[in-house]
Amino acid sequence: MEQKLRQEAKTLLEQNKVDRIIGFEPGSLKFTATPLITGDKNDTERLIINPFIVNNLADFLTGIEGRVGIVAKGCDSRSIVSLIQDNKVARENVVILAVPCPGLIDLAKIERLVGKNRDELDDITRDGDKIIVTVDGKKKEFSLSQALFDHCLACELPTPQEYDILLGEPRPPAPELQTSGQNITKLKETLPTERWEFWKNEFSRCIRCYACRNACPACFCQRCFVEETEPQWVMPVPRWQDNLIFQIVRNIHVAGRCTDCGECERVCPVNIPLRSLTREMYNMVDELFSFKSGMDKEALPLMAHYEQEEAEDLFR
Amino acid sequence: MADKKVSKKDIARLLEQWSRQFTVFAPSKESGVAAMAEWDGKDTGFLDWYRNTIIPPKASFLPQMEEMFHFQKGEEGYNIKTPPADERSRLLFGVRPCDARAMAIVDMTFKDAYEDPYYLSKRKNAVLVGLGCTNPCESCFCTSMGTNPTDQTNVDLMLIDIGDEFLIEEVTAKGKELIAKTKDLKEAAKNDEAKATQSKKTAYDRVTRKLDTEGIKDRLLASFDDKEYWEQTAAKCISCGICTLLCPTCYCFDINDEMVKQEGTRFRSWDSCGFPNYTKMPMENPRQEKWRRVRQKVCHKYEFYPMTFDVIACTGCGRCIRLCPVNWDITRVIESVPDKAEAKK
Repeated sequence: MEQKLRQEAKTLLEQNKVDRIIGFEPGSLKFTATPLITGDKNDTERLIINPFIVNNLADFLTGIEGRVGIVAKGCDSRSIVSLIQDNKVARENVVILAVPCPGLIDLAKIERLVGKNRDELDDITRDGDKIIVTVDGKKKEFSLSQALFDHCLACELPTPQEYDILLGEPRPPAPELQTSGQNITKLKETLPTERWEFWKNEFSRCIRCYACRNACPACFCQRCFVEETEPQWVMPVPRWQDNLIFQIVRNIHVAGRCTDCGECERVCPVNIPLRSLTREMYNMVDELFSFKSGMDKEALPLMAHYEQEEAEDLFR
Repeated sequence: MADKKVSKKDIARLLEQWSRQFTVFAPSKESGVAAMAEWDGKDTGFLDWYRNTIIPPKASFLPQMEEMFHFQKGEEGYNIKTPPADERSRLLFGVRPCDARAMAIVDMTFKDAYEDPYYLSKRKNAVLVGLGCTNPCESCFCTSMGTNPTDQTNVDLMLIDIGDEFLIEEVTAKGKELIAKTKDLKEAAKNDEAKATQSKKTAYDRVTRKLDTEGIKDRLLASFDDKEYWEQTAAKCISCGICTLLCPTCYCFDINDEMVKQEGTRFRSWDSCGFPNYTKMPMENPRQEKWRRVRQKVCHKYEFYPMTFDVIACTGCGRCIRLCPVNWDITRVIESVPDKAEAKK
């Protein structure tokens, strides 16, 4: 798959079909990949595909001019489609290099499973439905549900539906979709007062780095409401109340756009389980409007279109 | 005078003793993220998991958010009420050498032409008890940045891991005084010094990431206008605040008023030059494009700080590398800065 990707990417640049390629190259730490954004055909030799290509590359599309060839896993492709729906990206300006994705390895889970830090591990590989971690020369086997990201266990579209070049055999969705994840299920069993305490505690440590927002392709506002000072919707001071309001509003703003790629939770440096909010919103959007974001580029954006017949008086 | 030592299992007793005189801070995950937190009187579990905190210990002196004063509009202008200065004597237990050096670097700014009372009131009475690293991270590069995993330079006391015990190195007068008053410490045995030397060497050798900073100030000066280089360098940055807010030497803060009717509070809180609306309050951020902000971050640490204070404002703690959502690696960037001959204008 990697060889095909490198060849296709190189050809796209050589034939001047794109100005830039967005993909992944090896990262500088063990078990990491890092985004590669380049217009140089020689750089395409560095492109990789492996279980650690965690970033949602669609995030870079709105900041880039010209035509772009982009490596897309299922979730990335849904974000691209969502951006097309919102008129943020023109379909003819992107060449989607589709990666059928078997799920990505969650290093935080692996660390908890083996009780070691990621840089203390010798190797992490996948063999069919097993993830094999080598620690101190010994191999340990884990199941996919133990080792993959929660959002990968809930993935409905491992292979992009919208693409230009398919890089491998399409993969079916996971047989047993774990649509909510343990955190959400547990949270839903608690009393509202307990849940309030839970979130108060979680948001107390938010440092307002905005990595959740900036890593999110659906958060494409040129100017975020948190940065407005007249009027000031929310204080830029990292108090739990303001942090919580920021995240709730962000969540509502991405309703119908969030594709459950899990990036917000992954990038959070202080471990706030943000996907427990976004996934719940995703499920609600599905239940209320039968809408799954990023599945159909012809579909009108859920929250950004209006029809005369709609019953709400507010918009008439 | 021979060195003292303390058993790892007696650390709780030691901290308990010190708690009578100081507000003791120690590494903790209680909040859900590793940080220096007020010691709860019993937890020494950090001895098992602690490599470094996510939240740098600068937060003990420059909190994420602090109230500067309260104001109320009166008949003749504003009445200002300043909260009492927080002059509690803090003892930070377990500071890593990289972070201790970082605090010495931040001190330079807060003690410069303007003395910052909020920071200095907390800092001046603080005792730093360092804890030498035994297991540096893959992202650490302290040995290239003027310090090392067991460097005692910027702490009052330094603890070196010698197996079941820590050898205590008394560094400053403050540290010596504290040890003189501390009970139940053991005298170091003859071979403890040798064990400490070995422990230091092992830790030093485990820092495998190296960075050559020779001539970096000049290279950055030469490449300042190389837009192509900076655009390429900044391409994958997502402009979040992780690498700056969680950097132990970054000290920028924002000031905000929260006002209801005629009264309110002025806060300051961490800010980041990576944010598009940084320094927006006077007018506009002169660094609208991302590459200019990324350049600022790099230059401030490796060019401007050396120009002002003769020291690079980076200690190789590696947080920015470990925590970056896109693996933007400062060491790779510094290595790739063009020199005078290569830089494009």
